[in-house]
Amino acid sequence: MTPSVSYHCPCLSDDPVPPPPNAPSSSYGFHPLHELFFCEECDAVRCNRCVSVEVSGYYCPNCLFEVPSASVRAEKNRCARNCFMCPNCRNTLSVVPSDPQDADDGRSLGANLSAVGEPPFFLYCSFCRWDSAEVDITFEKPTGLAAQLQKFEDSAPDSLEFERLKEHFEPFLRASSSSSAAASLSGHSHAAHAHATPVNPITAAASSALARDIPGVGKYTPAPRGRRDKGARDEISEYRSRVEVKGTKDGSNVDFMRRLEEVSQVAAFGQRWANSWTTTLHSSELKPLRIPLHSKKTKRCSACRHILIKPEQKAQSVRFKIKLVAANYIPAMTVAFPPSPDPIRQRGAGTKQVPTEGASGASGLQAGGTFPFHLALTNPLYDPIHVRLAVQRPVPPPSSSSSSASPEKARRPPFAVSLPQSAFPIAAFAEAWEYEDDEDMFVGEDDEFGGLDRERGGGAGGGKGKAVGVLERRANVTVVGGEVVVGRDAKGPLKFNMLVSYTYRSDDPLAEDDVRATPSRKEKVPEMKTFSFYTVVDLGTIIPRPRTSASEVV
Amino acid sequence: MQTPIYYPKAEFIETDTGNKVSRRATISGPQNIILGGKTIISNGAIIRGDLKRAGPGHAVVISLGRYCLVGEGCVMRPPYKTYRGAFNYYPMKVGDYVHIGANTIVEAATIGNHVEIGKNCVIGKFTIIKDCAKIADNSIIPPNTVIPALTLFAGSPGHFVEDLPESTQEVVEAHTKSYYARFQAAER
Repeated sequence: MTPSVSYHCPCLSDDPVPPPPNAPSSSYGFHPLHELFFCEECDAVRCNRCVSVEVSGYYCPNCLFEVPSASVRAEKNRCARNCFMCPNCRNTLSVVPSDPQDADDGRSLGANLSAVGEPPFFLYCSFCRWDSAEVDITFEKPTGLAAQLQKFEDSAPDSLEFERLKEHFEPFLRASSSSSAAASLSGHSHAAHAHATPVNPITAAASSALARDIPGVGKYTPAPRGRRDKGARDEISEYRSRVEVKGTKDGSNVDFMRRLEEVSQVAAFGQRWANSWTTTLHSSELKPLRIPLHSKKTKRCSACRHILIKPEQKAQSVRFKIKLVAANYIPAMTVAFPPSPDPIRQRGAGTKQVPTEGASGASGLQAGGTFPFHLALTNPLYDPIHVRLAVQRPVPPPSSSSSSASPEKARRPPFAVSLPQSAFPIAAFAEAWEYEDDEDMFVGEDDEFGGLDRERGGGAGGGKGKAVGVLERRANVTVVGGEVVVGRDAKGPLKFNMLVSYTYRSDDPLAEDDVRATPSRKEKVPEMKTFSFYTVVDLGTIIPRPRTSASEVV
Repeated sequence: MQTPIYYPKAEFIETDTGNKVSRRATISGPQNIILGGKTIISNGAIIRGDLKRAGPGHAVVISLGRYCLVGEGCVMRPPYKTYRGAFNYYPMKVGDYVHIGANTIVEAATIGNHVEIGKNCVIGKFTIIKDCAKIADNSIIPPNTVIPALTLFAGSPGHFVEDLPESTQEVVEAHTKSYYARFQAAER
């Protein structure tokens, strides 16, 4: 596995410090950089778990038709054109004509065939060869098939029952939604209504759907509404279902299962759950499905409601009107071992060949060894930044502590990581890089190349000096060397949390506000700001040493 | 720079626009094939430019954009069908920054930009793949499938798995460009 760096989003806990990397909860808090967003307003990283999502448009994934949100409900969230899914394998079905009648020989007939072919038409799966004639669905015309099929759907007893239910509750729902709107206006609003400023029809419908009370279901709105609801509930008459539910259905299923010869005769769960209604267990009777619609989504910061992602209206456009992704704000990092035989996925990684002694990363991280690694940081900002790295002290995995003899030994971390301890600069991102200028900017700082080399990674294990420090600086990429010393009894994945803080010149002297999720503080120079974030660096799995070997390496 | 991927210099022909075509690839009907530049055709790939529409003269059969990669052992052949009783091949168009994994068979009609296709896939006839889509390794995409933008398809038959992150375009572009930069002739 290639070494990787993932970025922490602190949304899952109140503690800005992530859990140790070997804790099971760790993997949920870390994401690849390109999946993260950045809220400028909160000055914080956001992930897909902590953004609020709104639908900005619907489209059919097959015909790519953009469905106006007004007709989405009427068409029951499925494509109302000619798109159908195979009930057997979920592939898209195609409309095919019947075979032409063989007059004399098929060849001569070909010329006077109509463009669409001969009726009756049916739906055919090019993958599993299912066709709709098996379930007696054929069409006289090859167009408007969904309307013809929706008639079947709508005449299903389940569907009719549901329609009647809706009709029955309609007056009540109307009353309650209007009352909830009134409530939100008069100030009796709950959380969903508190930030009701950006409402489009869809969210309004969704939030009123969420806000409405269902009789008998616990309500979460404060007391004044409950009183009114009680009044409304009393007005509702009793609902009487169209058909009495009989117990015979189950009996026939049992009978069917008893006579089963092949497993494929039973419709699998996957074949049934895409249906709106309960369907038959017999896989031979499954009907084609209209294809469910997909949606384009707008994403907002859940804390400040600012838009992070706003797609263009056109369904198949990959451009965005607003796109605040973390990759444009915080440095990208890639980690590699110096000889790096596995080059995939390491964009922007600087892996200059450095002579290394002994074992290399290629042969695996053997317990008891010392391994240099390279960390390439890329600055996406148009200003130079200073970066400081700090490694969270690795803790021994619980499994090793139980197996070890002395508790004191178990306390020892399985590996030690040394990284450059002082801050180092990364030049600004620019279309054309001016190396000299960038060097001049930092000439006053004490972390020039040589200076860093001298003060290599301090207390954490006796690292070999050459490997630790700034190795390369070019354009907006700085490569720093680190070193990991693996303990003799270490095992398991070699992962460590790393705090990255970078200082940049801020254009607007924005006042600190307490909403910030990520620790960020002002430097003494007023224009300089610091942003910190946690990452987890995964270097691979430690290869345990054979038991017999006893030589000291560390 | 990043770790280079070296190839013996004699094995590839480099064109003026930076296309690198393996001598061990089978290119039929080269006059009907367009390469956009900086595109790599790997060893053992087969590109059937000879399967063109009936009729005289030459037409573009397969066009590939810039920074594409046709993996080792790939087969790219234009889709065909019988329409109004006449059998015909139809052109195939592939956009920019498209990587096609090894041993994949492509008969798509259109492939957009920034598309990643895994290895050992079969892309059925007249498939339309929109921008920034991704097809996982070992997927079978049946004929006439439409793959919407920014989605991941996988399985047999291939179907929708998830939406891809919004920054897919940048990620794929950087990856394809760096792959081309790393793909270098061995100094010998």
